[in-house]
Amino acid sequence: MSKSTFVPPNVLPPFKLRFAGLLKRKWFREMVLLWPTLTKRRFSNKTEDYGVFKPSLVSHIRQLSIYVRDIARSRAWYERVAGMTHSRTCEPEPHPFKEGWRIRCCYMSAIEHEECLVLVEEYDPTGRITVPSGMSFFHFALEVKGNQLEDVLAFAKQQQADGFQLNYGPVRHNSEPPLGDGETGGNVACYLYDPDWHNVEFCGAMDTIENYRARYGDLKGKDRA
Amino acid sequence: MNAQPRIPVTNLQHHVFYVTDLERSKAFYIKLFDLQFSALNHPDSSAAMRLSQQEMHFFSFGFHHHDICLVKHHKLKMDNNSMLHFALTVKDAKAFDDVRSRAQDMGLSIREGRILASARPASRSFFLQDPDKHWIEIIEEPSR
Repeated sequence: MSKSTFVPPNVLPPFKLRFAGLLKRKWFREMVLLWPTLTKRRFSNKTEDYGVFKPSLVSHIRQLSIYVRDIARSRAWYERVAGMTHSRTCEPEPHPFKEGWRIRCCYMSAIEHEECLVLVEEYDPTGRITVPSGMSFFHFALEVKGNQLEDVLAFAKQQQADGFQLNYGPVRHNSEPPLGDGETGGNVACYLYDPDWHNVEFCGAMDTIENYRARYGDLKGKDRA
Repeated sequence: MNAQPRIPVTNLQHHVFYVTDLERSKAFYIKLFDLQFSALNHPDSSAAMRLSQQEMHFFSFGFHHHDICLVKHHKLKMDNNSMLHFALTVKDAKAFDDVRSRAQDMGLSIREGRILASARPASRSFFLQDPDKHWIEIIEEPSR
């Protein structure tokens, strides 16, 4: 599946992609962080109250709408890579907040989340389709069925076998070898660029209020660096 | 043909979007939704952040480690030209009323209804913008 010729500035260039895998090596992370270590600016990337959860007013993310250049191309990608299903594609409608502009929406569903992703073609007043800039969001994450480490690893392997290049991962966002990359959340993840260079995380096994204490007990962030 | 069955995704799990001022946005999301600040990744704490020249603030809705993350790119400028909106479902009717009341107290401009004309109807919904002009839709519906 082809990609847009415009490449947003936040897309990792190939030479940086080669280094990305090294983040799973502690010696490499220590080397990258040598300067803040020597200058005593370094700190743990966990807050002191990490793991002390309390309810918010929000239940879940219901829907995300992203701009695409070609609904048919993007729909095919999300069906093929993510196993999502096409719910419906609508007739063009007025843009909700740009006078004279129009949009066309394609609603995609995950197996437990109806119409969670909307692929949007945006047309300016002359009828020309716009090019997504890539600079509104860093990535969004879709949870892989099964939600366990082995499920995400199998998912990553399947994508690679089908010729889809991972731009990062599979990694685990903590410091535990062999997959840990020193980040936070505990989720196992791999990342792919969609046809418009939107970065999509495929993840599972994120830390929750229930498994956090089983893993770290009462250790605070600075004790787990 | 013995093609392996595809491994599908089950749901949209979290969203990580750019902001220009992390502290301003952090205050906004905590004040409006009671989000829990769960972690901070900074170029002085994270090798990945140092290489990508970014800083991330993680927020939990109360169960998972993170549900939304705010990202500041220290070299690149964010814009609103790759995402139209994201929608958050609140816990219940009282939470919906609380968020609306807080939005009014914060002086935010509120628009009623669904942001996309083609979206399925919800019990109640309205939408507003965060400090970086990201559009957020607040929805009341039965929990999953």
